[in-house]
Amino acid sequence: MSTSSFKKSANSGLTFAIIVIFLALIGFTITGPSLVQKIWGDTLSAGTIPSYLALVVFLGFIGIWNGWKAAGQTGESPLHLKSAIFAGLVAGLVAGLIVMLYAFIVGSISARGIDLRVYLSLLSPESIVYFVFGKSTLIGGLIHLGLSIASAILGAFLAVSADRSGERISKWKNLVNNWTKNSWLGSLKKNVYLNYVLVGVVLLLLVLMPRTWGSYWNYIMGTVGIYILLGIGLNIIVGFSGQLVLGYVAFFAIGAYSFALITAPEPHHVELNFWLALLVAIIASAISGVLIGLPIMRLRGDYLAIVTLGFGEIIRILIKSDWLRGITLGPRGVRNIAGPTLFGKSFSSDVDFMYLIILAVILSIFLARRWQESHVGRAWLAISQDETVAQATGVDTYKYKLLALAIGAAFAGLGGALFASRNQFTGPEDHALMVSINVLCLVIVGGMGSIPGVILGAFTLKGLPEILRELENYRLLVFGALLVVMMIIRPEGLWPARRPNLEVKPPPKIEEKPIDAVSQGGDV
Amino acid sequence: MTVLLETRRVTKIFGGLIAVNKVDIVVPEGKIASIIGPNGAGKTTLFNCISGLYKPEFGEVIFNGKPIHGMITDKIAALGISRTYQNIRLFKSMTAVENIMVGFEPRIKQGWFSAMLKTPAYRNEEKHVINEASKLLKYVGLQGFGDQLATNLPYGAQRRLEIARALGNSPKLLLLDEPTAGMNPQETDEMKDFIRLVRGELGITIILIEHDMRVVMDISDQISVLDYGQKIAEGTPKEIQSNPRVIEAYLGPGAAALSEKYRREKVQ
Repeated sequence: MSTSSFKKSANSGLTFAIIVIFLALIGFTITGPSLVQKIWGDTLSAGTIPSYLALVVFLGFIGIWNGWKAAGQTGESPLHLKSAIFAGLVAGLVAGLIVMLYAFIVGSISARGIDLRVYLSLLSPESIVYFVFGKSTLIGGLIHLGLSIASAILGAFLAVSADRSGERISKWKNLVNNWTKNSWLGSLKKNVYLNYVLVGVVLLLLVLMPRTWGSYWNYIMGTVGIYILLGIGLNIIVGFSGQLVLGYVAFFAIGAYSFALITAPEPHHVELNFWLALLVAIIASAISGVLIGLPIMRLRGDYLAIVTLGFGEIIRILIKSDWLRGITLGPRGVRNIAGPTLFGKSFSSDVDFMYLIILAVILSIFLARRWQESHVGRAWLAISQDETVAQATGVDTYKYKLLALAIGAAFAGLGGALFASRNQFTGPEDHALMVSINVLCLVIVGGMGSIPGVILGAFTLKGLPEILRELENYRLLVFGALLVVMMIIRPEGLWPARRPNLEVKPPPKIEEKPIDAVSQGGDV
Repeated sequence: MTVLLETRRVTKIFGGLIAVNKVDIVVPEGKIASIIGPNGAGKTTLFNCISGLYKPEFGEVIFNGKPIHGMITDKIAALGISRTYQNIRLFKSMTAVENIMVGFEPRIKQGWFSAMLKTPAYRNEEKHVINEASKLLKYVGLQGFGDQLATNLPYGAQRRLEIARALGNSPKLLLLDEPTAGMNPQETDEMKDFIRLVRGELGITIILIEHDMRVVMDISDQISVLDYGQKIAEGTPKEIQSNPRVIEAYLGPGAAALSEKYRREKVQ
């Protein structure tokens, strides 16, 4: 084994040691194992410490990953068992020693009665005791060392066996592929009616699910639905027409507040009908989109981003301000916002609301697709790729950019109105900058300009954190990590947009005299 | 002979640099006019002034009897001026056919609302545009490449596609900025024939910026020579070839006398 590959393995070990220490410092060494236990099926009440076995499994996974990486870095193809295992051993040893050192330092500081929570709020004495397996720091550290080495060697071994069985796996894959192609499954794939059936099944599920899964899920899925609405709207502005608007929450706020102020008893006593108010909210947002758009039409890229970022904050601060307290009730927010009614009956149970949100989402998907596939979508895409050339080619860039802003804002207004109506309350803090960033994140993670991507992104970024409540404290961390990872491994997003095939091709001709065809060809 | 495009003392200044200095060019309808000159002579800047990317500081651009300087680019394009670019500027992540369809934009009548409702008029227009774009694709010899992303096409095909996009709004005037740059001799010949074809079959007037003198001398009806932003010569290819100022602009002062001497020696 050469010194360079030795160095590489040691480096890998160092990286993983840093990962483990980082996770320990932010208290994730408790959250992680409790997630592991959740997967087993044990539900933990908040604040309880998970079992040590879960910690072993959690750290074991990281260790296996470490060994796997180290084995891959030996650069041999196919992997050589001896050197791979040795690389795993080195990586595990380095990682284990450093983690042991960390455990020793933190353990002895904690043993002296110094509360580390003063410096790192999640590094509680319990988490330190848990990290050293409830033993003394020395024994805990030794356990870490052993665990790290064992799991890294296991990882290296797994890497080698995966490498060796690669051929077998591809054979199996081919077999399965052939089987699905030739059997009834394959013929089903080609069936044109399959799409209709699938859509039907999805619709049926959408009708049945809100009735069966209870109010908790309705709440979560309702939030996801509203974020899908926002995502589709922002996707029209950022993904389709390529204008980086960071103050998208402004339109959300304008929708929510214009809806709230004309339906709530306080402060204006208007109490308009729900559906009428919804329409007003949408139109108000769309108009605000155009009004914002007019002065910033000439801005591009970074400048546009900064200006719109400021705009989002201005709206929130205006709503909150004393100056407009008479109109917006200031920081107190607007209460008792009307729910939907249908033929004089109240329609605002959580199930009804879920249906309403589903309808709005389906409508917005339908509309966004219509525009995406039309000449409007083409013009938007052209603008997003090269605005100068698009304009010189004859695309009325002002018109289309304003149109994108107005439509995107209208969707945000619809989302805002539904959001305010569902909560029966809206306040300035519902419309913080974080909403803009969340929506932008889900558009980027899902895939710019792709509607299925937006839906997928909304489920991953809004749905998963709601389900994984344990991760509450780490939501921003996970967001950031996810964005970085996405930008590295899949910059085009989870479900990138595809372009349609449009060229009209003549039916393939059957050439009777191929020799003549060749001699006459080439006059293109 | 009607005049299609006329520039009158067009001047464009960048800071202290006069990029285009009082240039007069008259292009009659149905002709191929070339603009040549050394690098940095202001040829592309003049193109940008005509197509509206730049607003000239002084002077007028008259197209079809109407002044167009100071108009927004998309309005100029809608009047019937199309162009290509020195460094290819296609919409990279759109397919070839879609690129051409964007070119049709000034002629599309249906708005966003009928696109939302998919009215019969909208459908008909969309079908028409797809058909026409596919025809144009075939016309420039890219049949079968229509559903490829523009960025995946080979270099020569991208140049042709750019011309097809420019033809999309059925222009009266086509501005070609170095259409044969980076092409081998065979591709250059093909492009030359193609430019002739566009003028002959479609009756489109063409202004050409080109460095390849064989192309320029072969297909131009008239040539204007720019140097340091000023027009130093104008005439038929033959006149330009023997113009001492042109030779000096390209080869440096004194070159004209040398070439005259060389020619005499050759004759003797």
